[in-house]
Amino acid sequence: MSIAVEHISKTFGRFVALDDVSLTVDTGELVALLGPSGSGKTTLLRIIAGLEQPDRGSGPIRFHDEDVAQCNVGDRHVGFVFQHYALFRHMSVFENVAFGLRVRPRKLRPSKAAIKTKVHRLLELVQLDFLANRYPNQLSGGQRQRVALARALAMEPKVLLLDEPFGALDAKVRQELRRWLRRLHEEIHVTSVFVTHDQDEALELADRVLVMNAGRIEQVGTPDEVFHHPRTQFVMNFLGQVNRFHGRLEQGKVHFASLSLDWPNHDSVRTQPAQVFVRPHDCEVDVCRNGHSCFQATVTHVHSAGPNVRLELRAESGESLCAEVSQERYRELGVAVGSQVYIAPREVKVFAGEAG
Amino acid sequence: MATGTATVPTSGAPAQQRVATTEPWLVRGMLTVTALGFLGLFLLMPLVGVFAQALAKGWGVYLQSFRDPDALAAIRLTLFTAAVAVPMSTAFGLAAAWAIGKFQFRGKNVLITLIDLPFTVSPVVAGLVFVLIFGRNGWLGPWLQAHGIQIIYAVPGIVLVTLFVTFPFVARELIPLMQAQGTEEEEAARVLGASGWHTFWRVTLPNVKWALLYGVILCNARAMGEFGAVSVVSGHIRGNTNTMPLQVEILYNDYNFVAAFSIASLLAVLALVTLVLKSVFEWKVARQLALAERIEDAEESLS
Repeated sequence: MSIAVEHISKTFGRFVALDDVSLTVDTGELVALLGPSGSGKTTLLRIIAGLEQPDRGSGPIRFHDEDVAQCNVGDRHVGFVFQHYALFRHMSVFENVAFGLRVRPRKLRPSKAAIKTKVHRLLELVQLDFLANRYPNQLSGGQRQRVALARALAMEPKVLLLDEPFGALDAKVRQELRRWLRRLHEEIHVTSVFVTHDQDEALELADRVLVMNAGRIEQVGTPDEVFHHPRTQFVMNFLGQVNRFHGRLEQGKVHFASLSLDWPNHDSVRTQPAQVFVRPHDCEVDVCRNGHSCFQATVTHVHSAGPNVRLELRAESGESLCAEVSQERYRELGVAVGSQVYIAPREVKVFAGEAG
Repeated sequence: MATGTATVPTSGAPAQQRVATTEPWLVRGMLTVTALGFLGLFLLMPLVGVFAQALAKGWGVYLQSFRDPDALAAIRLTLFTAAVAVPMSTAFGLAAAWAIGKFQFRGKNVLITLIDLPFTVSPVVAGLVFVLIFGRNGWLGPWLQAHGIQIIYAVPGIVLVTLFVTFPFVARELIPLMQAQGTEEEEAARVLGASGWHTFWRVTLPNVKWALLYGVILCNARAMGEFGAVSVVSGHIRGNTNTMPLQVEILYNDYNFVAAFSIASLLAVLALVTLVLKSVFEWKVARQLALAERIEDAEESLS
């Protein structure tokens, strides 16, 4: 089932949580709402679920072309996984998962035997069948997460909404659950939207990523699109490590950090301020000028634990920046704190205007 | 420990820790003696005193005190008052706690303050307020008299003031718990299709079950033990509007010590039962969890 929401606004007192947001999710798609905290992503998710009412004058919320904006939460048939799981603490795992089936009106309620079979099948799906009689406070975070998911799936939702599904888990469990959720989604193919502030999570899991900032949508696209072709400074800044330089555009050239590069996109004669972004892995590092356009910098710190070595640098023009090189390249360069190096940006992104 | 070296540095730690985190024995001893002294002086001695006085002339006289029709009437009235006031107080407390703990609305702090009012007002003043409202010269007095309804110096007045002094107990127990638990579980239930009614009975109420019972016990203890407010509105009509605490006072003023302390011993027993029940409820929660854990561990080792 597809989701389409149009022109949704939401204010809490004076705080604008959502400002005229529209979004569509196709059937079977897995979409990430990505943004910093306070960007409105959770509010949007809760509005889709019906847990929050959009402001007056907001547009429709359509599930498969049917407007559900006036529908009660319970009648929308969405599966919702809460950030802190919200498992019923006085019920066992089995009872938690069975809850959605047991509260149905008598006519629609499956028989006891059918509920039992179904719950056990779901617990098998999330690989927790052996914990059916446990209580939530006896489970680890990852296990609770999966129970919450099984509970949401029990009602065979057409739409699955997840609020920071891995937010409260440690790094290793996160990784595993992320991969597991991706597989699960491929298996059951339910239209899903999840909220996250973790860009890796969004880029790895989602078919499409919706980047949000201050109640607005900055960009929508595949992980590739938003990462490699950010449309705004915010997206560039938010996705991945990036170095930012305050520069200027002048007669087809961009000037920053004592460098001048051709910038044919700019044809105005007028001088204009510009924000220049270079990813750390796009900074080529060398110990001498090697012919490329480059600027000089001093190494201030070296982080060599990890697959790549991160060099913290201070450019001769005063900006601090960060460059990433492979371990081999690092050994080849033989640099240490205090060394003078030359930085040649392989790829730069330029946004005309002041810092945004 | 997989390696021998890892255990070596920890061997000296316990002794060091004891030194670092406890007081000298003199301080410990003095604090313990002080605490036990207070406990004995203010709790144990009065309790023993009540039973000693009640049984001063033997079991026969003790039991004889309960054959007095006035005493029986007082016990009946106390039970009746509690039976009416406690459920009403509970219903009110639950509703108030639910509203305050789970919803946002204007005037919430005013409501919380109002709920605390009976705790801050002297019970005697509370009683007088009711006399002022329902008494013969009170605001509603003439109207009530014209319709032949008597509230002050009668059972309805006693129930009303009992209700007034007991109503914060349940609410006060539940509000912090419900606020701490938040609304996520209720939201989860609503998303899963449960009605508001279902959500309340199956999610909200079970989560506060033990706190609720605890509040009810405290409320009951106060309902049966209240003296001041009831004394003002009761009129002290023997065999008619005397509750157990009032009966105790009357008997004491009559120099009928054995009878007074016999009734008092019932109230003391009530206090002890209250304490036992409270402990049982706490123990039950712990046992329920431990049991569930054991079952699971057994199943896990089988699979």
